Amino acid sequence: MTQFVARRVLQLMLVLLAVTFLAFSSLHLLGNPLVNIIGVVAEIDYCDDVAAGLREDSHSGANIAKGDCELIAEAKAEYRLDEPVVKRYVLWLGDIAQGDLGRSFQNDLPVSDIVRQKMPKSLLLMVMAEIIALVVAIPMGIWAAYRAGRRIDRVTSIASFGLLSIPNFALGVILLQVFAFRWQLLPASFDDTSVFTRLHSLLLPATTLGVGIAATYQRLLRTDLLTTLQEDFVHMARAKGMPDRHIMLRHSLRPSMFSLITVFGINTGALIGGSLVIERIYSIPGIGSEIVTAVVRDDFPVVLGAVVVIAVGFVLINFVVDLLYSWLDPRVRVS
Amino acid sequence: MSATITPDAIDDEVAGAVQKTLGIAFWVAIAWIVIISLAALLAPVLPIKDPHAIATGPPRVGPSMDNLFGTDALGRDVFSRTIWGARISLAVGFLGIFLGVVVGGALGIVAGYFKGKIDQVVSFGFFTLLSFPALVLALLITASLNRSLLTVAMTLGILGIAPIGRLARASTLVFAEREFVQASRVIGAKNGRIIIRELLPNVLIPMGALTLLGMGISIVAEGSLAFLGLSVEGEAISWGKSIVDGSQTRDLDNNPHVAMFPIFAMFLTVMALNFAGDRIREYTDVKETAF
Repeated sequence: MTQFVARRVLQLMLVLLAVTFLAFSSLHLLGNPLVNIIGVVAEIDYCDDVAAGLREDSHSGANIAKGDCELIAEAKAEYRLDEPVVKRYVLWLGDIAQGDLGRSFQNDLPVSDIVRQKMPKSLLLMVMAEIIALVVAIPMGIWAAYRAGRRIDRVTSIASFGLLSIPNFALGVILLQVFAFRWQLLPASFDDTSVFTRLHSLLLPATTLGVGIAATYQRLLRTDLLTTLQEDFVHMARAKGMPDRHIMLRHSLRPSMFSLITVFGINTGALIGGSLVIERIYSIPGIGSEIVTAVVRDDFPVVLGAVVVIAVGFVLINFVVDLLYSWLDPRVRVS
Repeated sequence: MSATITPDAIDDEVAGAVQKTLGIAFWVAIAWIVIISLAALLAPVLPIKDPHAIATGPPRVGPSMDNLFGTDALGRDVFSRTIWGARISLAVGFLGIFLGVVVGGALGIVAGYFKGKIDQVVSFGFFTLLSFPALVLALLITASLNRSLLTVAMTLGILGIAPIGRLARASTLVFAEREFVQASRVIGAKNGRIIIRELLPNVLIPMGALTLLGMGISIVAEGSLAFLGLSVEGEAISWGKSIVDGSQTRDLDNNPHVAMFPIFAMFLTVMALNFAGDRIREYTDVKETAF
């Protein structure tokens, strides 16, 4: 087990490096970061002439006191734009290790503060969505497996299939229309006044995200339960005359949860993507809304910082799920 | 291999439906995909209103004989916008998945066939791509580029590379051990010939099902990007952008039809693609035949 964990930790390190490098370099290589920092002024091309004293520096930049070429030189120095990408990446990684994600171009706030302020709302939304999904999916999965092939099984199968084909934004728009506008049962946007209003206003978006995931979980649990129900120990329990409820809940449920645990990790990716969009639809000022605003404003330290935090979180969740899974099911370690 | 009972096999056995025909519902799904594709292709010559023309009827009214799906806030015809939206949505879906299949499939087959170092590098690449939440990766790419049809399609294609590549690699690993591949190697066939003539046709079958599912996923992903303001730029109409247009508070409250018709079109198309993909997967699943 120790050796297994050591190998996984090494793999984790490699993946974290690759993920952060991909994020860093894609934002640095695609597009011109200098333009994002100081605006179109960055595109003037006579700074070499100015440096050589062949012509005057121009003053079209935001800061009138300084010449354009001065601004460019300052920005380049501050953001280390003259260095090769790999070196910049290493320096940036050093900053991150000290908790410094840089500062927003827009309002000069530290990105780490922005993330810390916005993240809890998004996390609350995602946790609520997971809880709703599990509360719906586990009973429905058990019920469908217990009555496999009967009407309830068919109905839940069709419902799951339908739900899997509805994009979450479409479901969001439909639920918003029906529950918030037409029936006015639930609020249409986030209300930050108290814990209660927060939970209350997140109910609709969390349901939107949750039912889609519930459909995946339900199908999976049903399939796994059907496999478990073929096992000898289940036949044994049945032969002993144990009640069905006991067989389903005590004997079969736990060994049927393995796929659910694996998919929980993978699904987190879909959940994160989903919450980016859902936050837009229900005007929740979470990390997703922050990223979208930052993208529109070309505020690229914020985009990079938030994306890196999310990606690293996603990698870590899958790492934990992976370890948990191999701890629960020793067969995984061997292969 | 065939002795182990796969969950899918049990599924079908329990449901009492070990079908070996594709079934009528499959052809209904295909018919819908064909109809919507034809409508999208022929949009410029179909006798429908100009999707950009404003005031084709009174603004914000429900379906009528003049405007089958009603009109939006500017009085534009929702029906023709839905048809024109299919052009971009389907084009993006198709181009995206095409790129994913070509690049991912090629990498996966090469990794699975040569194994060793190449496999390690390629598999690690797939793993890294999958370590991003898909939409975050898409956002990262589109955020810094211009958002032409091609860029958006390419972004969605990149999302497809890793999952498709993994499937191609896994099937190649299985087929590379089979007798017919070893036989052709014994005869002295070169690697390139074995890959193209022996492996490719077999690997393509499971990938066919994934292509349909992936097209559905790409169409949905375009919609998600539209909500983030990162879909195709400018005047181009897509289902995603139409849904975003119709979801502005005032429209959604009073004229839900503006958002609901494109949602319905997208839903039917994605469901048809999912269903057709599922049926093809079951139909071509070799394990199940053995069972």
